[in-house]
Amino acid sequence: MEGKIIVITSGKGGVGKTTATSSIGAALAMLGNRVVVIDMDIGLRNLDVIMGLENRIVFNIVDVVNNRCKISQAAIKDRRIDNLFLIPASQSDNKDVLTTKGVERVAKKLKKEFDFIIMDSPAGIERGFENSVVSADEALVICTPDVSAIRDADRVIGLLYSKSITPKLIVNRIEPARVARGEMLSHQDVLDVLSIDIAGLVPLDEYVLTSSNMGMPLVLQKESKAGQAFTRIARRLNGETDLPIEVPTHRTGMWKTISKKFGFTK
Amino acid sequence: MFSKLLRKLTSQDKKNSKNEAKKRLQFALVYDKLEIDDSTLKDLQNDIIQVISRYFDIDKDSLSLEIERGEDKSALVFNTPILNMKRR
Repeated sequence: MEGKIIVITSGKGGVGKTTATSSIGAALAMLGNRVVVIDMDIGLRNLDVIMGLENRIVFNIVDVVNNRCKISQAAIKDRRIDNLFLIPASQSDNKDVLTTKGVERVAKKLKKEFDFIIMDSPAGIERGFENSVVSADEALVICTPDVSAIRDADRVIGLLYSKSITPKLIVNRIEPARVARGEMLSHQDVLDVLSIDIAGLVPLDEYVLTSSNMGMPLVLQKESKAGQAFTRIARRLNGETDLPIEVPTHRTGMWKTISKKFGFTK
Repeated sequence: MFSKLLRKLTSQDKKNSKNEAKKRLQFALVYDKLEIDDSTLKDLQNDIIQVISRYFDIDKDSLSLEIERGEDKSALVFNTPILNMKRR
């Protein structure tokens, strides 16, 4: 059976594409799939450092597309998670070095070798975005609950539709307490505005920064709420389509509510 | 601490700011979609000229095609001088 290419994109930068890519990729591998994650952000690579594989880079995706090496030479094997591979971006090339034709040719080969191919799209809607979506079977659009990220997500969703891809949405960095106070758009508000199916809801989580400090996969941090949310997204991609969407909640004991009201705790 | 408490009890602006965000977003997204890029507008203009030219002689140099945006409605405005009616 052929593998599936999933692109993770957002339009706006800094909303969590790379974190989502590494986490979902890792979770899919832990579920028993052969997975490769590919950094498509030519010139500004980051997926390698988030995954803690930055000092094992020999070849990159540009080398693969330009036939300077084989896929197996460029794919770095993760030592902590079986069957997880990374093909990094090139740091020196110009972002226009890849063409959609070249990417399509490599994508065909990748589908024969892996169950899931996850493309980490760069921010923006230019060449890098085009290259990331050209061969995609599915797309995940990620946004945070703020006006600029949602507007950019809407633009990207429109572009994906025009390419006959029906994307699903990940809302990232949800702060349940602020949603409860009416300070932050709820996931339902976001859905009302965007009219798109949801892939998953991810809470704001301190583990995202600390595990990136260590180059540790987030999904290996058992306590991480965001890691758990990404794992659930991966399980749905892996065929558990009836796994319910979990809405991040905050626990408010009576005492906590009272002390918050009087300014003792934030 | 007392001033902090006072502020907490009186400030309402932060509260429900999300409703404002939602309203503004819904408007912005509709507005964004009305924007049309130059090449599409040029194509549209050429198509319109082709159709109109079947019935009228028009001055192709002094016509204009614009999208006018109003508060709740937008209009496509095509303006052209007619030089002659074509006899059919």
